[in-house]
Amino acid sequence: MSEDAGTEVSGAVAAELETAVVSTKSEFRRGLSDTAPVLLGVIPMALVLGAQAAQKGLTVAEVPLMTGCNFAGGSEFAAVKLWTSPPHLALITAMTFLVNSRHLLMGAALAPYLKHLPKRKAFPALFFMTDESWALALADARKRAADGIVRCFSLPYYVGTCVGMYLMWVSFTTLGSLLGPIMGNAETYGFDMAFPAVFLVLLKGMWTGFRKGRPWIISLVVAGLTSLLVPGAWYVPAGAVSGIVAASLWAREDY
Amino acid sequence: MQLDNVLTIFGMATATYLTRIIGFVALRNRKLSPRAMAVLEAVPGCVLISVIAPAFVSPRPADLIALVITVLAAMRLSMFNTVVIGVVTAGFLRHLLG
Repeated sequence: MSEDAGTEVSGAVAAELETAVVSTKSEFRRGLSDTAPVLLGVIPMALVLGAQAAQKGLTVAEVPLMTGCNFAGGSEFAAVKLWTSPPHLALITAMTFLVNSRHLLMGAALAPYLKHLPKRKAFPALFFMTDESWALALADARKRAADGIVRCFSLPYYVGTCVGMYLMWVSFTTLGSLLGPIMGNAETYGFDMAFPAVFLVLLKGMWTGFRKGRPWIISLVVAGLTSLLVPGAWYVPAGAVSGIVAASLWAREDY
Repeated sequence: MQLDNVLTIFGMATATYLTRIIGFVALRNRKLSPRAMAVLEAVPGCVLISVIAPAFVSPRPADLIALVITVLAAMRLSMFNTVVIGVVTAGFLRHLLG
């Protein structure tokens, strides 16, 4: 009798575990498939970066070391542009921090969604945070929150978005360094338009009306003007900070 | 592998990982005011639109027309369809207009 009850309980636990495993798998797959259109834009960019790095004298082993350990495309393009033999360590490290300074804001925006995770999961997860995975996971978490799901941030979904990005970025930058000078210019075709296209769809998903969207317009104008007037990647922090200052001034009126 | 290259790569990797964790670490254990939450809510859009802002001030008419078409597509269509339309129109218009 008691044995029966035990079997029943363990059966229930097993069923529950199975559901958890299945939903983890399906969440992972959902993340991976949502990233598929983004990967269309990643391939040509990765090939171009690998080819440029090879021209600057980075070896076929050093290219995946960079793209795999750093894993932030914008900063890698900037670094390769600045690369000399030997490279200027302090300059390239500082530029990398600057180009990736938007991650500070992105991590802060993600913090409320990640704080229920143990550190041993949150810190490795953050290593893989890119514009694309962050935006997809955040948009997904907001959608799930609107659907009434309490733990709205889905870690397996996020991991799914990261795995596709990471494997494609590292393997295609390596391939680019091998193909090197055979490659033409990706911009002749329209592949670079994939990035604005992806971001515009994500922005549309985050749009909750003109009132809350006003800071974005400030960001767009300031970043656009800065990109015309100031060389380098300054337009990203300039646009982002202006929009945030505007948002905080408008929020002062409201709260 | 050259030592200088490897050290510079590790310098980059350290800088990048710091940018990824600092925002999270700083805000993980704070309870935020409604005003701070409102500001934080605006941050993602501000960052995303800043990253793609150069596309809006491109000197090439082909790019600008393609961008307008992509914006319209993004307002109505799925991610995949928008990307395909963006890439195809940009490629086609650049070929046509230079």
